[in-house]
Amino acid sequence: MGRGYIVEDVVEKYLSNLSVPGASCVTGLLIGQSSSQRDFVVLAVRTPQKDTEGQGSPSVSRGAGNSLERLDVEWVTEHARQVSRMLPGGMSVIGVFLVTPPELSKEAQNTLRRLIFAVDKHISKGRLWSLTEEDVTEKVTLHICSKTRKVVCRTYDVRDPKSSAKPADWKYQSGVCTSWPLLTCSVGLNLVFPVLEMHVLPQDMEKCMKEGLQTWAKQIEDGLCLINGDAMPGEVELLGGQKKNAKAVQQTFRAQILIPMAEPQSERRLTASVKVCSGSLTLKGMVQCRAYLHSNKPRAKHATEVIKRDVINTVSSRVEMFLEDLLMEGEDKGSVGVQQVLPRRVFAPVPGMSLCVCDYMFPDECVSDVSDRLKEMLDWETPEDSIDTSQEAVPEAPTIDLKNTVVQKNLKAKSTLDARPKTPSEDPTEAHKSHKTYYAGVAMAAAIALLATGTSLIYLSD
Amino acid sequence: MTSYLYLYTHSPLIARKSGISVNGHIDCVSCVFTVPHVQKVISRTFEALGSQVKAESLVLSLSSSPVFLWPNKGGHATGIINLTLMTEVTEPGVLSAPTLLRGSKKHHLLQTTLPMDCVVSVLSSESISVVCGTLVGALCSQLGDMEKVALRHMKGTALLIPQPFHFLLPAPVGLVTVVYPAGVPDSQLETQRKELHSLFELPDDRPYLRRANALHFPDEPYKDGYLRNPHVHLNHPALENGKPYLVQGVYSYHHYMQDRVDDNGWGCAYRSLQTICSWFQQQGYVERAVPSHKEIQQALVEVGDKQGSFLGSRQWIGSIEVAAVLDQLLGVTSKIMFVSQGSELASKGRELANHFLSEGTPIMIGGGVLAHTILGVAWSETTGQIRYLILDPHYTGAEDLQVITDKGWCGWKGPEFWDQNAYYNLCLPQRPKTI
Repeated sequence: MGRGYIVEDVVEKYLSNLSVPGASCVTGLLIGQSSSQRDFVVLAVRTPQKDTEGQGSPSVSRGAGNSLERLDVEWVTEHARQVSRMLPGGMSVIGVFLVTPPELSKEAQNTLRRLIFAVDKHISKGRLWSLTEEDVTEKVTLHICSKTRKVVCRTYDVRDPKSSAKPADWKYQSGVCTSWPLLTCSVGLNLVFPVLEMHVLPQDMEKCMKEGLQTWAKQIEDGLCLINGDAMPGEVELLGGQKKNAKAVQQTFRAQILIPMAEPQSERRLTASVKVCSGSLTLKGMVQCRAYLHSNKPRAKHATEVIKRDVINTVSSRVEMFLEDLLMEGEDKGSVGVQQVLPRRVFAPVPGMSLCVCDYMFPDECVSDVSDRLKEMLDWETPEDSIDTSQEAVPEAPTIDLKNTVVQKNLKAKSTLDARPKTPSEDPTEAHKSHKTYYAGVAMAAAIALLATGTSLIYLSD
Repeated sequence: MTSYLYLYTHSPLIARKSGISVNGHIDCVSCVFTVPHVQKVISRTFEALGSQVKAESLVLSLSSSPVFLWPNKGGHATGIINLTLMTEVTEPGVLSAPTLLRGSKKHHLLQTTLPMDCVVSVLSSESISVVCGTLVGALCSQLGDMEKVALRHMKGTALLIPQPFHFLLPAPVGLVTVVYPAGVPDSQLETQRKELHSLFELPDDRPYLRRANALHFPDEPYKDGYLRNPHVHLNHPALENGKPYLVQGVYSYHHYMQDRVDDNGWGCAYRSLQTICSWFQQQGYVERAVPSHKEIQQALVEVGDKQGSFLGSRQWIGSIEVAAVLDQLLGVTSKIMFVSQGSELASKGRELANHFLSEGTPIMIGGGVLAHTILGVAWSETTGQIRYLILDPHYTGAEDLQVITDKGWCGWKGPEFWDQNAYYNLCLPQRPKTI
């Protein structure tokens, strides 16, 4: 008895339209949701071209040996990580596919196994929330023979390094996600992280933010979530009111998150604790969050889980991206005292479906950049006017501390479009290096208290 | 739900045991952490806390609470509602996408959690918006009190955590909340108490505002396991032209076999003494815990009343020894009353009544071969009828209120209770004149 994957018709069309020249292989990602009873796949995306050198199969490095051996696993996993950032809550990379010529079909299983474990490991790094008992850890691998177009679907439990392949059902259907409920909320941030030692290097800032965001993420995870103003017990079915054969329509739910004003104290102190700090980092603003649930009897507890995870992911993703960008541009002493704008979230519709994906726009980018990225990462054309940039407003001109005169350098650096480490289509070795360094460090840390307004006012006015 | 004290004519709504986390960033201009500097920042931090409490994102969450409503009695309600302070993060004040500001000024970071504990008394007929307004007002004013206390009691540059206590003062004052700094003993807070005594027009010779006098809410069980004031569950005798005169305040019931000490047959006076000590502790006169049998014996050896061989023995003690221990360990003086015959006790109504009126302390009585505690007297001036409210230390069972009241271990006795021919000594402890 294996898992059953219900797959959108468009995925079938996409996979059959994939051009696979000659004896080459094509890898790609499968995107969707897993619930305890059923799994849903709504998108398939091929791994993009690595660079413009020569034609032939993307994601295959040059050299001797057969295509599978030359497969660049790192490239696939990096693509998976970038794509993960573009998915709202609920949706994730739940599997990989591989198209091979018939003679490589046997080896394909091994490769798929390697790929799926590597992908899962890579996209879980730096995650600030923890998996629960109920999370499904089975991921799907799909092998397609380029000649016969025969499909072999297997799953692996990525939690168990020794797990073996289990057969699974792969069934196409139309309108899989038309009635997926959507949860939205906007979360205000007002976090101040103390910097305990004298650090200005991006890597050190990273460590500091990691600790700060970790505590904040825990507060969000443990917080109370109201759905449409109601604190529903976890087991209540979200779509309970709908008649069985009623016309499937997407419902939107508004989420509210409440966190206690004090952390639970284990020890009873008599005096306030004092720490000497050499600086601080203040993170302020509003983030727009979205999450999708599947339509197979979703419960309130799943809803609160997916929206909270999206809140945590969107904040940690953009801080990650900001720090990666900073690292790319080298050490940045001059930017102390200047309020720097983090990338803001924009939404784009998935063609043919009622879902949307998201992307992050740096202040000096424009909609066409987003469109280009969508094409590269997700392999579809998005008309620029369908990209919604209105959800998060552009912050006012950053306050500039006149003591720091290196403002010019900063603004100039930000305006160069090329120094963007986000897409793997740049020089691969550079990009990979920076990503590798970031992977070690990028765990964001938590806020200490909610009363940062007062403290940062104290801070700035002195 | 067990029944509990119905304290007020209104129904109290209480925001209890909720906390606010505080981060005060204090700039260190010359790397010297000075007191006025810290004070300025503390004030500003409290100001920020105040605005947080008044912000739209404040949420109060009701947790388990015993509440009773009488919907047909004009919506009369009694009870305590516990609230937790929360904030809604999805109610943003700033509307633009996030920004990051890096600061590199050296400074000190003070962190703590403030234990907010407000009591608000509202009429059950008032609307929710009025109640909410009153609650937020109470939270803000408590923040103000906490700020004053924090600034007043700074230990150098260390910030002592302000802790709120509730006191039920005699009418017309009622329930007040006082904030004291943690770690500062009551003995060092006399000035503050004097100010409050004059503010509330309280007598200046007995404690009302020591930490031990703090109100004990019905939903919080006493952790030490002893029964408190079992006599309140009794029906008082109705005497013609007579009334009961009872012990004031709170005491714990101490009796045989408690604390894993098998003193069956010899420890009755010790237990009565323990009950009296518990009274002085809970009225705030002393901070020391109720003494054990060993400590009582040690005290008697120390004052020279007993030889060293007394320690560890099972020797009985009497009223004189009880008075000596109260003086030695608690600094409490006692009056000794002597009756040559048990039958004389029937005529001591006035004296006993006066004791309960002025001092209100439990009385230890020893004579014959027994010791008891007298908690009150019901006496009629005209008929001479008299009853004694007795707390019997000879009980060997568990802390079962039902058994204790039903079987008369705490109960009203007539004058025939005493051995008519034996002589008795009574120890009447006197309240020290202190606040």
